[in-house]
Amino acid sequence: MAGVPLKKTGGFLPIRTNGFDRGFISVVILILVHLLWMRFLEGVLPLWVATGLCLALAVFIIRKG
Amino acid sequence: MRQSNIGWLFLAPATLILLVVGFIPFIYILYVGFFDWNTNAVDPTLRWAGLQNYRSLVFDTTFLNSLARTLVFAFFVVVSELLLGYVLARALMADRLWVRQFFRTIHTLPIVVAPIAVGATWRLLCVPGFGIVPYYLKQWFGIDYNISTNAYHAFATAIIMDLWHWTPFVTLSLMAGLTALPKEPLEQAQIDGGNKLQIFWYVIVPMLKPVLLTTVFIRLMDALRSVDEIWMLTKGGPAEATRFIGLHIWINVFPKTDYGYGAAMSLLTLYVTIVLSWLLFVAMTGRKGDAQ
Repeated sequence: MAGVPLKKTGGFLPIRTNGFDRGFISVVILILVHLLWMRFLEGVLPLWVATGLCLALAVFIIRKG
Repeated sequence: MRQSNIGWLFLAPATLILLVVGFIPFIYILYVGFFDWNTNAVDPTLRWAGLQNYRSLVFDTTFLNSLARTLVFAFFVVVSELLLGYVLARALMADRLWVRQFFRTIHTLPIVVAPIAVGATWRLLCVPGFGIVPYYLKQWFGIDYNISTNAYHAFATAIIMDLWHWTPFVTLSLMAGLTALPKEPLEQAQIDGGNKLQIFWYVIVPMLKPVLLTTVFIRLMDALRSVDEIWMLTKGGPAEATRFIGLHIWINVFPKTDYGYGAAMSLLTLYVTIVLSWLLFVAMTGRKGDAQ
């Protein structure tokens, strides 16, 4: 994003990111995981499991990504 | 401080317009996507459905096929337009002045034609038993070209029609970019012994990246929401061979008045568009590793 400094790849993500990027990546993953969960796993595991996992992953990405 | 306030004041009308025509409709669509709302149903009121629309969506093979078909269409269209647009831009920048101006005008005309007219024109050109395209393909090459019965012919025609309509836009964008390139790096590369391919790949493409990125974004987003041209050309047929996602959403929202499901489909399409654009942005701006 123009004007927002990009962090060098100290984190595990393979690209240089800023806070907005990491938040965006988390939301994209959250939506994707929920859609795939509904398609393949919801019969076995309820959807809130996916929500919990994605929120934990989002925190991890934003702090360490 | 005062300057900053004046800046915000100047930005206020544009922000307000964006809020009214962009953000509020988006929130409304997001809201409707969680409801079962069909004005032609027995109960035409909004009924809370939670994630049911999205749950139905991931099992809807017609929708998923439409989405996949649209992605294939967008890929072919964007790549072909970029290649063709670049070649034409270089050709139209040649030194023969009158030829350049004449062809630039002729070549740019399709952009000003309304998509619905483009679709109608191509329908007339390609309609079996009447259009000149099937007639001459049969006469000259013995090809039985029929967009009403052959899925591949219909799909290919949709791509060619889009190329005809939008390549001039790509050409103009790239011409503007090429004209603005500084001459010194090109001359330097020539002095250093770079061949044409090397100069293109290592000098022109990196310098042209902002223009390429903008052009690809605009064309990708346009290709992902093609509706009117395709509707006029094939009405999404034969079978569902050219039922792209925009057309599929339109069929569900308007003739079927299934607003809740249509909103969910629209949001998923928006999601795909944003993700693709972001991936493209990351790939083209070289934000990999520590590379500056």
